[in-house]
Amino acid sequence: MWWIKKALVLDPAQGYTGERDVLVKDGFILKVGNFLEEDVPEFFGQENLEGVKIVEAAGKYLFPGLIDVHVHLREPGQEDKEDIRSGSRAAVRGGFTSVLAMANTKPVIDQRALVEFVRLQGERAGMARVYPVAAVTKGFQGQELVEMMDIREGGAVAFSDDGLGIQNAEIMRLAFEYAKLTGCPIISHCEDENLAARGVMRRGEASARLGLKGIPASAESVMVARDVLLAGEAGGKLHIAHVSTKESVMIIRTAKKLGIDVTAEVNPHHLLFSDQDVGLTRTDLKVNPPLPTKEDQEALLEGLLDGTIDMLATDHAPHTWEEKAKPFPEAPFGINSLETALAVVWQELVEKGKLPALKVIELWSRNPAQRFNLPGGTLETGSPADLVLFDPAYKERITAESMESKAQNTPFLGQELQGFPVMTWVGGKLVMADRKVICN
Amino acid sequence: MQWRHKDLLDLDTLTAEEIRHIIKTAQPMKEILSRPMKKLPTLRGKNVVLLFYESSTRTRTSFETAAKILGADTTNFSVAVSSVNKGESLLDTAKTLQAMNVDLVIVRHSSSGAAEFLANVLEAGVINGGDGQHAHPTQALLDFYTLQEKLGGFEGKKIVIVGDILHSRVARSNVLGLKKLGADVTLVGPPTLLPDEMKYLGVKLSYDLDKELPGADAVMALRLQLERQQSGLFPSIREYSKLYGLSLERLKKTGKKTIVMHPGPMNRGVEIMSDLADSVQSVIEEQVTNGVAVRMALIYLLIGGGTGNVVD
Repeated sequence: MWWIKKALVLDPAQGYTGERDVLVKDGFILKVGNFLEEDVPEFFGQENLEGVKIVEAAGKYLFPGLIDVHVHLREPGQEDKEDIRSGSRAAVRGGFTSVLAMANTKPVIDQRALVEFVRLQGERAGMARVYPVAAVTKGFQGQELVEMMDIREGGAVAFSDDGLGIQNAEIMRLAFEYAKLTGCPIISHCEDENLAARGVMRRGEASARLGLKGIPASAESVMVARDVLLAGEAGGKLHIAHVSTKESVMIIRTAKKLGIDVTAEVNPHHLLFSDQDVGLTRTDLKVNPPLPTKEDQEALLEGLLDGTIDMLATDHAPHTWEEKAKPFPEAPFGINSLETALAVVWQELVEKGKLPALKVIELWSRNPAQRFNLPGGTLETGSPADLVLFDPAYKERITAESMESKAQNTPFLGQELQGFPVMTWVGGKLVMADRKVICN
Repeated sequence: MQWRHKDLLDLDTLTAEEIRHIIKTAQPMKEILSRPMKKLPTLRGKNVVLLFYESSTRTRTSFETAAKILGADTTNFSVAVSSVNKGESLLDTAKTLQAMNVDLVIVRHSSSGAAEFLANVLEAGVINGGDGQHAHPTQALLDFYTLQEKLGGFEGKKIVIVGDILHSRVARSNVLGLKKLGADVTLVGPPTLLPDEMKYLGVKLSYDLDKELPGADAVMALRLQLERQQSGLFPSIREYSKLYGLSLERLKKTGKKTIVMHPGPMNRGVEIMSDLADSVQSVIEEQVTNGVAVRMALIYLLIGGGTGNVVD
C-alpha cells in the first residue's frame, strides 16, 4: 500500500494536472484526490496507517508509467548488446513501465514459442511489462505471413518486420487484411530499399559535404503513402514507426482526415538532432531513419501538437561499443535511448515550452495504451499502479557505470541532463528508487 | 611558418597560407626528383606505413617513392596479406600500428571518415590518401601545385571540373582548396551525378559543358566509374561521352591555351579522348611527377620537424 502525498499529478486520461494524493492498494490505483490525514486509513479499509508506505512528493510530478511501443531488447541471440533483463531494467530507470519488444532478434520472433519466450523472460526480469511484437512475415523474408492468430494467443500485441521494410506491396496488403482477425495493429517500418540504397544518413547538403551516401526523404514517405492506402483499402490497423519526414506527416494527416485507421510515432532523437549534427566520427548519431532536416523537425513537432502524430517512442537500439567504434559507413544504425529519452524530452521540449508536460504523458502513456490495448496509461481508480515519480530538478551525468543498459551508444554519454524519474512502480511494486533499480 | 598539424585529413582544416606553404615546400622537392641521386637522409629512422584498403597504383607508389627519397623506411600494410582479411577491425589495426611505434600512416579506405577515425586513435600522424567519397587532399594539393606552375596563380582563374561530381572525393577536395586560393570554379556534370545538394560547395553548378568552356584556364576531367551506368545514373557511356567527354576539338571552345588535367587512371575515349590526353595541353603526366614532390613536402612537414630547410 502506498500513499503518495501532494504530487503534481499528470493524468491525460482524466485531463488534469494539479497537486493531489494518490493511494495504491493491491497493485491498483485506489483513489486520487486531496485527502485529510484522518480519512486515509479508512480508504485502505483499516484502522490506522500500518503497512502504508508514505512518499512525500511535493514538487515532483506523478504520472502513469510511460509505455514505449518501440524498443529493441536483442534477446534472443544478441545478448552482447542487450537482453530482456537489462533492457527492462533500463526501462524502469527511464520511466517506462511497459515496453513493446521488436521482433528483429536472432532468431526472428515469428512463432508462438518464441513470443512466449520473450514474454516469459520479461516476467522473470520482473521490471517493466514486456509485450512481444511478432514478425509480420516468416523469418522477416517479406514473403509469407506468420501464424498471426496462434501468435496472438501467445501474447503478441502487434506485428512488425521493424528493422526492414516490407517491399512487396501485395504482402503488406494481405497482412493488413489477415491481421483484422487478430485486432492487432501492423507496425510499419517504412523504408523503400531501392531508394534508401544502403545510404547511411539523410540525403542533402550535409551528406554531400561529408561524402556519405544519402538516404532521400522519399525512401520513407513513399512507403508511408503506400501503407496508408493499403490499410485504407484492406481496413486494417496501421501504426507507422519512427516518422521522420515532413511529407510523411502530411500524408498521415490526410489519411486521418479520410478516416483511415492509422497512428504514428516519433522518436525523440528525430526531434532533437538534425542532419547538421552528423559528423564523420559521430556514429552515436547514426540511426535509421536518418536524422532529418530542421524543417522536418518543425513538421514533426507540429504533428505531435495537432494530433497527427499519436505517440512518442524511443526506438531504443543498443549496440556494443566495438560495433559503433568504426568508420561511419560501417557502424550499425541505432541509438540507446531508454534511460535518457524522457530526460531530454523534458529538458529540451517541456522546459523550453515546445511541448506541454501533460501532452508528453498523453503521447507516451495514454495513447500507446489505447492503440495497443494495454493496461495502464491512466490513473483512474482500478487501473494498474504503473507509476512514475519525476523530479524536474534532478540532475545526473550519463555514464557507462550508471546505465542499466548493456550498451552505451547514446549521444548524451558524459553529459549532464536535468529531469529524471526518481521512483517507478509497476503493478504497485516499487522497482526503482533514487535512480537505482531495486533487485528482487 | 610553423607547421601545426599532426595529420592531413582534408582541405577544410588548411588555410590558404598553409596551402601555399605546402606548394612552396614542394618546389625544392621537385628539383630533388630530377637529380640522378634521389636520396636524402632527412627522415632516416622514420617509419611510414602505407595502409591501403582500396586498390591504388599511383597514389600508393607516389607516397612510397616520396617517403623513400626522404630516407624514411616504408612498410606496406596491404590488405590482401594482412590480418584484415581475418576480420580485424580498423580500430584493432590502428592499435597494432600504434604499438609498433610508427611515425606516419598513410591510409586509403572506402569508408568516408576512415582517415579521421584513425587519426583520433593514433599518436602517429595520418595522411588521408582518399576516404570514400569524402576527401583526397594530396590529389588536390598536387593539382594546385600543377596549376600554380602552369597558370602562375589562382586569383580569378577559371577552373572547370567535369564528371561524376557526386561520388568524387577529388572534386570535393579540389573545390574546397581552390575557393580558398581565390579561383573561380565551375562544376559540370549530368544532374544525376551533380545533384542539387552539391551546392553546399558554394560554386557554380552546370549541366552544360560547352557553355562553361569559354574562358576556362584549366579543365579537369574526373574518372567515370563505369559501373555507375549499371545502377542507372546515366543511360550509356556513349551518351555520357558525347555530352561530357573532353576532346581536342571541344577544348578549342575555351578560346585559350587551356590546360587539361585528370587524376587518373583515365578511361580513354570516355571522359577524355586520346588526342587530347596526349596533346601539349595535357599536364596529366606532370601531375604524377608533382604528386611525388607534393607528397614529399607533406611527409616532411608532418614528421620532418617543421621549419628546417630540407635541401641543405
